[in-house]
Amino acid sequence: MTTGKFIRTIFFVEILKGLTLTFKSMLTPAVTRRYPKVKRPAKPGFRGLHALAKNEEGKMKCVGCGLCGAYCPSQCIHIYTTEGEDHNKVVDRYEIEVLRCVYCGFCVEACPFGAISLSEHYEYSDYSRDAFYMTKEKLLSNWDKYFAGKKGEAYYRKFWRPQSEDFTGHEGQAKFEKVKKLKVKS
Amino acid sequence: MEHIEKTFETRELTISMGPQHPATHGVLRLVLNLDGETVVRCTPYVGYLHRGVEKLGENRTYFAALPLSDRLDYISSMNNNVGYVNAVEKLFGIEAPERAKFIRTMVAEMGRISSHIIWLGTHVLDIGATTPFLYAFREREVIMDLFEMLCGARLTVSYPRVGGVRNDISQEFLDELYDFVLDFPSKMDDYETLVTENRVWKNRTVGIGVISAEEAINWGLTGGTLRGSGVNYDVRKHAPYDVYDRVEFDVPLGKNGDCYDRYLVRIGEMRQANRIIKQCIEKLPAGPVMADAPKFTLPPKDMVLKDMEHLIHQFILITKGPTVPEGEVYMGTEVPKGELGFYFVSDGTGKPYRMRVRAPSFVHASVLPRLCEGGLIADVIANIGTIDIVLGECDR
Repeated sequence: MTTGKFIRTIFFVEILKGLTLTFKSMLTPAVTRRYPKVKRPAKPGFRGLHALAKNEEGKMKCVGCGLCGAYCPSQCIHIYTTEGEDHNKVVDRYEIEVLRCVYCGFCVEACPFGAISLSEHYEYSDYSRDAFYMTKEKLLSNWDKYFAGKKGEAYYRKFWRPQSEDFTGHEGQAKFEKVKKLKVKS
Repeated sequence: MEHIEKTFETRELTISMGPQHPATHGVLRLVLNLDGETVVRCTPYVGYLHRGVEKLGENRTYFAALPLSDRLDYISSMNNNVGYVNAVEKLFGIEAPERAKFIRTMVAEMGRISSHIIWLGTHVLDIGATTPFLYAFREREVIMDLFEMLCGARLTVSYPRVGGVRNDISQEFLDELYDFVLDFPSKMDDYETLVTENRVWKNRTVGIGVISAEEAINWGLTGGTLRGSGVNYDVRKHAPYDVYDRVEFDVPLGKNGDCYDRYLVRIGEMRQANRIIKQCIEKLPAGPVMADAPKFTLPPKDMVLKDMEHLIHQFILITKGPTVPEGEVYMGTEVPKGELGFYFVSDGTGKPYRMRVRAPSFVHASVLPRLCEGGLIADVIANIGTIDIVLGECDR
C-alpha cells in the first residue's frame, strides 16, 4: 500500500467526495414535480386517448373501411357497418377497447381519411372497465374535448408522417448547423 | 458418542427467491439450496412473463409486428425496434436512406444510455446505494422527454419503420439532444464519484461472479457481460449495421470478468454512446427519411389522403402485407443487454412463417447458476444485477 492510498483509506476520501456531491445537489433546484398539483403538459404529437375526427360540418369523418382494425397490432378496434339508404356504407358501431390498446399509433397512420387520432390527453382512470370501452359517441365527444378549434386541422399534417417530402427530402430539415448552442458559443 | 454426532447433522435449506422479489428485476424465480449462507445450488425458473411474442409475430404482417418488439426489452425499446426493422429490411432487400440511418443510430444510442442508466441505478440500489438511483432517473427522464418529443411515446416508442423512420426529427429535438450530449459526461462523472471508488461498492463487487473469457464464450454470453471478461466482441464493430461503421467509438473491455469489471464496461459504454450521438448529430445529412420502395413501404400519408393509386397501395400493404422474397434471414444487432437477433423464415406471404427472437437476457439467465453456486446468498443479488437481464425479453 502506498502512502497516498493509505491516507485515502484512513480518511475516507472517496466517501467524503460522494457526500460532498450529495450535499451540493441539496442546494440545486428540484427536478421533480408535485404531480397532481403541477401537471406536465404532453409534448405535441403525444399518443394518448383516442378520438374520432369530425369534418367542418360536424359529421364523423370515418367511412368504416376497417383499415385501422386490420392494421391494429392488438386487434382492439371493432367496426360494424350496414347499408344505408342510397347504398352507402353506414358506420353503426365503432368501438375501441382502450385497455387493450398499445398506443402504437398505427391506426392513425393507416387511416386513409384522417378520421382517427390520438389526443394529448393522458390522465384517464375510472372505477369500472366499461368506462374504457370507447363507443362511437364517446370517441366523437373526445374530439370536441381535445381537438377543439384549430388544433384538429394541424394535427395530421404535423405529426403523422411519412409525408411525401419525407420520401424526397426537403429544405427545412433539422441539421447540425442550425443547433442553437453553436450560435451561442461562436 | 455416535448418537450425539448424528444430532449435529446439518441440512440444506431450500428457499424460493422471487418471482415477486424486487431485486430479481422482474419476475425471475430462483430456487436456492443453501448450506448456511453459502449457495449450494441455484435453479432459475423463467416464463412468468411469457406472452408468445414469436407466435404472435407469425399472425401479423411484417409492419404490424413492430410493436411486439417494443415489449421484449421494454426499457430499451428503441434498440429492439431498430433490430427488428434491420432484420426485416435485410429480408426485403431494401435499404434505408442515409438520414434515416443516422437518426436510427442516434436514437438507438439514446436507448442504450437510458437502459444502462436504469441498470446502474437498480444495480447499485440492490447492493445498497440509494443516491445514484435517484440521480440516474433524473437523466433518464431527459431521454424519455426527448423520445416523447420525437415520436409521442416515452417508453414503447415504435419509432423506426421498415425502410426508414416514422417521421423526421425537428430542430427543437436536435437542439435539446445536443444540450443533453454536452451535459451528460459531467453527470457520468457524478455517478462515478459516488460509486466507482466507494469501498463498500468495491467490497461487494470485486471478485464476485467471476467468469473467465473462455467460459463466457462457451455460455453464449454477449454484450457487456461478455466484454467484462475481456472478449472483444461487439456486433456494432464486427457486423456493422446502420452507420456504426462511419462513427468512431471504442469498445470498453474488462479484465477479470467480475461484477466490478462489468460495471466499468457499462459505464464506459455510456460514455461511448454519448460520443456516437454527438457524431451522429454533427454528421447528420439532409435527405429523405423513408426508402423509395413502394412495394415494401407504406406510401406517404398526404398522398394517401388525395391520390387513388397510393390509397390502393395502402390498402394492399396493410391488409395483405408486402410480397416478400422467400427465404430465411438472421440479423443480429447490439442492444444494451447483448446481441439481439431476429430470425425470419419467409414463405413469400406478407406474414413471417417463423419469427425467432434470440434474446440475450434468456442466455444470460442461464449463466446464473454458474455465477451464484459456491458464493454467498448476498452475492446472488449482485450477480442478478450484473448480468443485466430483463424478464420481458427473457420470457418473450
